[in-house]
Amino acid sequence: MRRAALLVIVALALVPAGAVAAPRQRTSMTAVLPYVMCVTCGIPLTAAQSPQADAERSYIQQLIDQGDTLPQVKRALVVQYGDAVLALPPASGFDLTVYVVPVVVVVALLALLGVLLPRWRRNMRRAEPASAAVAAPLSAEDSARLDADLARFE
Amino acid sequence: MVVAVAAAALVGLLAYGVAKQGPSRSLDAAIEAGRHPPAPNTTRPLPVLDGLATRTATLAHWRGKVVVLNFWASWCDPCAAEAPLLERAQRLLAADGEGTVVGITYKDVSGDSLSEIKRYGLSYPNLRDADGSFAAGFGTDQLPETFVINRRLHVVAISRGQITKLSWLTAAISEAERT
Repeated sequence: MRRAALLVIVALALVPAGAVAAPRQRTSMTAVLPYVMCVTCGIPLTAAQSPQADAERSYIQQLIDQGDTLPQVKRALVVQYGDAVLALPPASGFDLTVYVVPVVVVVALLALLGVLLPRWRRNMRRAEPASAAVAAPLSAEDSARLDADLARFE
Repeated sequence: MVVAVAAAALVGLLAYGVAKQGPSRSLDAAIEAGRHPPAPNTTRPLPVLDGLATRTATLAHWRGKVVVLNFWASWCDPCAAEAPLLERAQRLLAADGEGTVVGITYKDVSGDSLSEIKRYGLSYPNLRDADGSFAAGFGTDQLPETFVINRRLHVVAISRGQITKLSWLTAAISEAERT
């Protein structure tokens, strides 16, 4: 009996402290959530309220509690739910449009400006003599009539 | 002209994206019209849910048998409610060797799915559809959903929602055995 008790004490003394302590958390729920979607609702997990979203959050908490880092949590989520679980979709297939379309739109708009801006400036320059003609000094006859009109208001 | 083409392309892209979101109901329409459409994705391998994640299986593996294909998840309460009924159907099918129930877990953590299988003592095989792309072929986006498939791998009956009566299932299985 005493020998058994001694063996237990020795065994406990040999167990490293880290082996019994809970693993240290390397990330947090608030750090993970912005990267994750609710896979059945199609909205960010932060805003999702559904049984599936609850299951997802519970799984994330489990991964955090076991000491996984943010990239490890993201990888584990992709293994369980596929790429759709990540808020930023993969740059392949139809999802590639998410990255390509904005760039194409910006380039197209810049090209359009490149074409339209010089044309607009040319038109402005052409229009300048006309506006200058409008601003030309009045003839003597018009000037006399204007003076007469103004005199009536004095 | 260029602006109009670009705008049309963007609108087209948007329309395609929106159309892609909705579930397909082509199988339901075919069944309503009295036809038995071929089951989709029959040769697509899915991981077998056995805790090891080393084996895969396809629906074609069960060609020649009646298959009751059930999409479920551990987070889905109606799925849990119909699990005992599906297990009864499995025992009936296994007794005469005519077919099997095949569970497909939908967007579910494998550990949670395995716990549910243990809790309800499910004896039928289960496969994993992690991202729901296999289910999308069946127009599945709500759970539970069940498809009764005949020996030639054609769909003969669909239940979009919880099965509450074994009689619906046995009638669908009988039809699958006849066709």
